[in-house]
Amino acid sequence: MRKILTGIPLILGVTLISFVLMVHFGPDKTYDLLGKNPTQEQITEVRHQLGYDQSFVVRYTKYLKELATMDFGYSDSSGEKVSSILVRTIPVSLALILPGFVLGNLLGVILALIAAYHRGHWIDKIIMGVSVMGMSVSFLIVIIAFQIIFSSSKGLDLFPVRGWDVYSFTDYIRYVTVPTLASIFVSLGYNTRFYRAVIVEEMGRDHVRTAKAFGAHPIELLFKSVLKNSMIPIITRIMFSIPLVVISGSLLLESYFGIPGVGKVTYDAIISGDQPILKAVIGLTAIMFVFTLIINDILYKVVDPRISLK
Amino acid sequence: MLQNSKWLNGLLQLIVVMSLAGCNAAIDIDKALEGYLKGPAKIYRHSLGGAPSSLDPLNSATLYANYIVINIYDTLFRYKYLARPYEIVPNLAVAMPEVSEDGLTYIIKIKKGVFYADSPAFPNGIGREVIAEDLIYSIKRHFDVVNRSQGSWLWDGKIVGLNEWKEAGSNYSDVIAGLKTLDSHTIKITLIAPYPQLIHTFAQGFSAFVPHEAVKHYGRELSVHPVGSGPFKMLRYESSNYALMIRNIKYREEPIDLEFEGYDPILHKKYGIDKIAGKSPPLVDALKIDFIKESASKWASFNKGNEINFTGVPVEQVEKILSQKQPKPILTPEMAEKYHMFNTTETGFVHTDFNMRDPLIGYNDDPVRDKRNKLLRCAIRSAFDWKERNDVFYSGIAVTFPGIIPPVVPEYDPELSNSSTLRNLDEAKRLMLEGGWTTDNVPSLVYGGVASVATRQMYEQFRGWMKDIGYPEEKVIFDSYASFGDFNKAVKQAKIMIFGMGWGLDYPDAQNTLQLFYGPFGAPGSNSSNYNNPEYNRLYEQTSTMQPSTERTQLYREMNNMVIDDCVTISGLSRENIFLWHKNVVSFTDAQIVGGFHLKFVDMLDEETK
Repeated sequence: MRKILTGIPLILGVTLISFVLMVHFGPDKTYDLLGKNPTQEQITEVRHQLGYDQSFVVRYTKYLKELATMDFGYSDSSGEKVSSILVRTIPVSLALILPGFVLGNLLGVILALIAAYHRGHWIDKIIMGVSVMGMSVSFLIVIIAFQIIFSSSKGLDLFPVRGWDVYSFTDYIRYVTVPTLASIFVSLGYNTRFYRAVIVEEMGRDHVRTAKAFGAHPIELLFKSVLKNSMIPIITRIMFSIPLVVISGSLLLESYFGIPGVGKVTYDAIISGDQPILKAVIGLTAIMFVFTLIINDILYKVVDPRISLK
Repeated sequence: MLQNSKWLNGLLQLIVVMSLAGCNAAIDIDKALEGYLKGPAKIYRHSLGGAPSSLDPLNSATLYANYIVINIYDTLFRYKYLARPYEIVPNLAVAMPEVSEDGLTYIIKIKKGVFYADSPAFPNGIGREVIAEDLIYSIKRHFDVVNRSQGSWLWDGKIVGLNEWKEAGSNYSDVIAGLKTLDSHTIKITLIAPYPQLIHTFAQGFSAFVPHEAVKHYGRELSVHPVGSGPFKMLRYESSNYALMIRNIKYREEPIDLEFEGYDPILHKKYGIDKIAGKSPPLVDALKIDFIKESASKWASFNKGNEINFTGVPVEQVEKILSQKQPKPILTPEMAEKYHMFNTTETGFVHTDFNMRDPLIGYNDDPVRDKRNKLLRCAIRSAFDWKERNDVFYSGIAVTFPGIIPPVVPEYDPELSNSSTLRNLDEAKRLMLEGGWTTDNVPSLVYGGVASVATRQMYEQFRGWMKDIGYPEEKVIFDSYASFGDFNKAVKQAKIMIFGMGWGLDYPDAQNTLQLFYGPFGAPGSNSSNYNNPEYNRLYEQTSTMQPSTERTQLYREMNNMVIDDCVTISGLSRENIFLWHKNVVSFTDAQIVGGFHLKFVDMLDEETK
């Protein structure tokens, strides 16, 4: 409860800064919504409907009220209820991102363990070299290349190029595989390098050397003595990337694979200045961060009972 | 280890749950058409380069929105499927309107026995018959004070009593003198002054017949739950991804008369169009339209064979798929084996405007400077290289033409000198000299545009041309805008000095492009250049009530010459569209004025008949 209360200033801070940016630097939708040859009266009318004629304080207060009631009204562009859009698109984004996110992190940890264990050895150098390669290639290029390799008629032709006609788990695997491979390819390098650095530091500790001296099996040593004690920075990295991954991380994947998720909706809202959607997404991201902080603290306690939640 | 496996197990379960949550509610097209379907469903997958913003006819302002709206809703008129130049014909109307001698009264009868598609909006979910009153209701919606309409300009100040109805508070039970029903299937429209383009306005999505029950039921969300009497019914709409429609099983039986539609065996037989003769549209059971902006993804999906059936060809692919570009694009044998192709000049054009409200380049209170500004504009136009622009940005296959009457409208003058579109550096330098412009005293040219690679490249090209006539590089400045909305706002507020614009015709009449330079339509109106020539304005007003005639065409051409002579805009170029579709699709595509009207005529062949 205390954590939730301390999250309120964070939500207020994030929403305030975001709102200032939206109001002062966001696109003005007035002329997009007007017909040809509008009169001044019509311009004023649309600006009034969009709430542009209200003071900043009034608009921000209204926004906080919307956030509290979770009622963000209707999209300025499509006219659809914002809550309906989010309910429809967030699960799709989660379903799209989750396998890549989980596998990318799992593989990252495993490769990092192997590299760290063989520090300075050729295995370490190969893993790090491949990681740097993965980090260096643009996500866009990876997506296009993977589409050609795995999906197009000029490549292996194994999966759909785009779409999300998912009615069963088999369909899901068909549509999610290539985006997942692309996201793993791109994230693996970053994850592996980060986790390796953490694990290498842990491997130099006294208790690890003692375990080695006792003749502990490498697997036992890595998982019990190293990984378990490296969990704090690993959890921090994973947890804090969740809100970003859910809201914005899937934008390119959704655009190029034609997947109706929240990333694309958010991007379109940014470009077109659809404030009801932007307000909802920003507000929810801030709330998600607060919850992430709380879950993060609980997980710290789970992996290291010495840490107090107080 | 046991703990680890439990953890992994839980994670896998979470993935499965999340993935199923992300599954769409199952859509079984066969089931949706149960009892009406003979054999497996025929599904045609079209693609568009952008997504519609709203499917409410009030806001069907974009090509993409109109594409879908006219397939869900009915309009009084449509354009013939195959005839070019475009010919308007009855759609929901029984015949073309009876027009009074003075051109002020239109009597239009609508077909009987036409029903709205079934929808929860109607009592018991059963769509009722379409009646004349629905059109009146639909037009009134555009003038309802609480609605935000993008189509009211079509009838603003044109119909007797309509504007007054709005001013009086938009009470739907109040009768409008100029908008009445004579019986349940006859509409009488009375105009304030003759309006020759009126029938074209009734071929646009804005004029679609909307049932009041749907408006009441869905409210603002009518924009995502369209309910009409058109050939298709919306099954699922993902506003930024796709629209999945199924055949409206209540759509009227109207066997296709190919001769009436403008069938020409030389042009159309190769597309298999003869196979649809006598069939009643719509010819496919389901129509899916994917909205795909990313050209690489769209191209891969099209080439896949079992995804989208249709694509416009992205500029970067033109060189690869054509064995010949001029005089007529021809596909390479490999592509011709796999796909049908049709190329057509767009019903619109691109142009670069000068802001005439900017005293540095446009009108100036000082008559001497005003004259010098005109010479400067003309010099810039003479330095503009349309050929190079065409080669670099439009694959060299676009069509350039002088002025603002593009080749697709009947009033286009093929005999008009094209000197205003040819690069002439000597002439440009001479004009600079005549105006007394030197590198020291020329004003800085601010070229505005959306912050995109293509716009930046166009600016750099423009800057290079200006350098050729002695303009210092640092005096040609790029003013970038983060989004189209910001750019549009700046144009509408007359804040940009020079800017590129594009225009797609609403109907095949040059009046639609001439209004772009009509003085009273200056910013924030559609006259973005803010040109204001009293003689031009007078002719525009005079022709606005004239029916198509040789005399009107002559006056249109005079107006075109004025725009050219005053160097208000650097114009124009009509892009060439190349469309490809799979060989098992029977179609003749037109992305613009006929637009979505062609979709009800699209058929799919099975393997044997391909």
